[in-house]
Amino acid sequence: MSAGPLLDVRGLDVRIPVRDGTVHALRGVDLRVEPGEVVGLVGESGGGKSMLASAVIGMLPANAVTQGEVLFRGADVLTMTREELLHHRGHGAAMCFQHARAALEPMRQVRKQLADRLRAHRHLGGQGVHDESRRLLTEVGITDLDRVLAAFPHELSGGMAQRVMIALALACAPGLLLADEPTTGLDVTLTADVLGLLRRLATEEGRGVLLISHDIAAAALVCDRIVVLRAGEVVEMGPTRQVIDTPRDDYTRELLAAVPDIDRPLPPVDHRSTAAAPVVTLQDVHVHYRARFGRTGHHALRGVSLEVHAGTTVGIVGESGSGKTTLARMLLGLVAPSAGRASVAGTDLSRLDRASRRRLSRSVQMVFQDPLGALDPRRTVLDAITEPLIPLGLSNAERQERATAVLRRTGLDDRFLSRYPHQLSGGQAQRVGIARALVADPDLLVFDEPTSALDVTVQAQILDLIRDLAADTARAQVFVSHDLATVRSFCDRVVVVYLGEIVEEGTVAEVFESPRHAYTKSLLAAAPRLGGRLVDNPTAREETTS
Amino acid sequence: MRIVRYLGLRLALLVPTLLGVVVLSFVLVRVLPGDPLAAFVTPSTTSEDIEKIRQRLGLDVSMWEQFTTYVGGLFRGDLGTSIQSGSPITTELSTRFGPTMELVVISVVISLLLALVLGVWSALRANRPEDHVIRVGSLVGTALPEFWLGLILIAVFYKTLHWFPAPSGRVDRGVDLTSITGAEGFDALLAGNLTALSSALAHLVLPVATIVIGISASLMRHVRASAIEILASPTWRTAQAHGVRRGALLRGYLLRGTAARLPTLVAIVLGNVLGGVVLVEYVFSWQGMGQWLLRGLLYRDYPVIQAGVLISAVVFAVAYLVADLVQALLDPRVKL
Repeated sequence: MSAGPLLDVRGLDVRIPVRDGTVHALRGVDLRVEPGEVVGLVGESGGGKSMLASAVIGMLPANAVTQGEVLFRGADVLTMTREELLHHRGHGAAMCFQHARAALEPMRQVRKQLADRLRAHRHLGGQGVHDESRRLLTEVGITDLDRVLAAFPHELSGGMAQRVMIALALACAPGLLLADEPTTGLDVTLTADVLGLLRRLATEEGRGVLLISHDIAAAALVCDRIVVLRAGEVVEMGPTRQVIDTPRDDYTRELLAAVPDIDRPLPPVDHRSTAAAPVVTLQDVHVHYRARFGRTGHHALRGVSLEVHAGTTVGIVGESGSGKTTLARMLLGLVAPSAGRASVAGTDLSRLDRASRRRLSRSVQMVFQDPLGALDPRRTVLDAITEPLIPLGLSNAERQERATAVLRRTGLDDRFLSRYPHQLSGGQAQRVGIARALVADPDLLVFDEPTSALDVTVQAQILDLIRDLAADTARAQVFVSHDLATVRSFCDRVVVVYLGEIVEEGTVAEVFESPRHAYTKSLLAAAPRLGGRLVDNPTAREETTS
Repeated sequence: MRIVRYLGLRLALLVPTLLGVVVLSFVLVRVLPGDPLAAFVTPSTTSEDIEKIRQRLGLDVSMWEQFTTYVGGLFRGDLGTSIQSGSPITTELSTRFGPTMELVVISVVISLLLALVLGVWSALRANRPEDHVIRVGSLVGTALPEFWLGLILIAVFYKTLHWFPAPSGRVDRGVDLTSITGAEGFDALLAGNLTALSSALAHLVLPVATIVIGISASLMRHVRASAIEILASPTWRTAQAHGVRRGALLRGYLLRGTAARLPTLVAIVLGNVLGGVVLVEYVFSWQGMGQWLLRGLLYRDYPVIQAGVLISAVVFAVAYLVADLVQALLDPRVKL
């Protein structure tokens, strides 16, 4: 290997011609990655991070117009021939794509997908492929090798799929590993594991790692240097400590301010009495999913008791597979409790007939995790928002009036009413989702990880909005999240769920300041903090599949 | 074993399905206007004669009695006797089912392979000239009426070029071949009779081509759309970005994915071909089930119609069952 940087991007300029003009995606970007170094590339979506990654692996859109150089070990990726590119992709620089579950081939076993890469780049066969596959999976912290090797992607949990994705990239034996938002949708403990793994790959194996993230706090945990990208331009770069402690650019400060800090709570929301009748009452509720053909099922909730009063917000926290989504689905009447008593707004959830189901659908509304996926792409914002009003038999004018009012409440003006989902950003789409949930004045509003698919800066704005809504007295709210930090700012009570059981319950102050259960303590400890440093943990935690 | 249990369940479900078909076809043919006896009536026939014929055909008893006799026969494998020819349906069917299925199955299989190859190729060159040529060509093929296309193929390839034999049967006269299944090509293969095989295959070419040209367009468009979807997916991008070899990429990622989206459509197409094959059979004098069934329908030959409907139902049910099994084999996410 020649001396000098592994990756040296010099003055890279990318323009994409579109129907009416040109999108200037990258403007004179300079970036270096040395072997053994982890470099964080941070910024909001649309800032050009993924475009830069595509340039590094030679997969820019075919019509892109480029200037500058992308030197990989001294060779310019932009001028490589087809054959050179085939070698460069994977073996030179390998990318771990975002949303690993969707990026893995659904009809191919993990074993075969690993073999595809090992054959192409390492020229291994038979026994070699077998041994190396096992070594790679072990390296990314997977212990039940046989099961994972034989598994299809849909049989893996999110965290497991992410590890397999990294193993696939490593199978190409790359000099440079690009990780595009590798921790999206993972809970805090898994995030720490994956980031720790990337750090180890750089430190112990001397690979270069380019970590792409919208979350500057997560990047700060493991990166040696941080590069901040905004609208295609590098606005700041430097050693991690320097960027975090003494940011020079306003945008960097904005990114830092948006990080929900678990140690620095906002003043509590103006409180109401909890004397009002409970909207949600759960007593020793169990949910058991039976497998098809009556084989062993999955016991998702094991004896959960909970009360949520009107005018209060309860945060439900737990990692993936803990049963928090089941709990949310049950409140909406989508899953029936197999045992125990459960009622929402006076409706018994264990005996739902058509009439009570209709009543329930009016009194409970949900805000979904994926804001764009929850909107019908062929219907306008007005259509989406007024949908819950249809059974109320209002006139068109009344409906439109209520939609406008509720949209204003969420911070959008009525110009948005005629737009289609593809014309909205993630944050705007989530505001529409919240407006739709609010419009029919529900008794209970359930938020299912409403910010985990959003950029950190947008996330902060949405959390502000939810905090604002939490002050309404008429409504009870349940906020489901894997992230303790988001819950802190506006919840009255916090419930921690672990393996289908409530292990801790109390006011925000009680849970955050004096956690009793070991699991709560570990969640608090794993939460990313600005200025924190990830302790390298060589024995990665064993993970259960959901 | 899950698959055995599933198969058992599906086959068990076949019983009520077929029972429904039996009842419906039995009632419907009798409700239709027209009388099977009309064919026997001449100006000199007396009403006494008609009564006698009616008795001989077993049509003089009540509908319920006719039904119990029919169903009783079904359990013994007796589909009844053709009113027109007077010979047992099972005998007639045994010489006609094979040839039709041979034609239909070969056509569908060839269309499927053609659609996969052309569709994927077309998707890989989406919006380039080759792609447009394929798409327009296939559309024209679909738009041509089958009977007309058949005649054109005969005019060109038999009358003018003499490449293929006359449309007057399924093997050349004088070829010595004992019938096993009734499907000549298959029989020749079983018997290892090469002369007969080449003769049978030569006779198959034009009718098969007629059907293939008619149906491959819809399959191909479906394959092309699926392939384009896969080419735009994060899955494909990932494999490409990891430099997976082109062979593995095409086979394991593209072809597999498109094939997995096909089985149900193939079953539907197979059903359509089975229904529409009668025109091709007429044009090519292919003594198959379609022609026989059509004649039965025109003369209100009750047993023939009932048997035809029943056979179609069985073929459909089996086709869908096979499609579901193939789908489950190809796509691990499908749970049986």
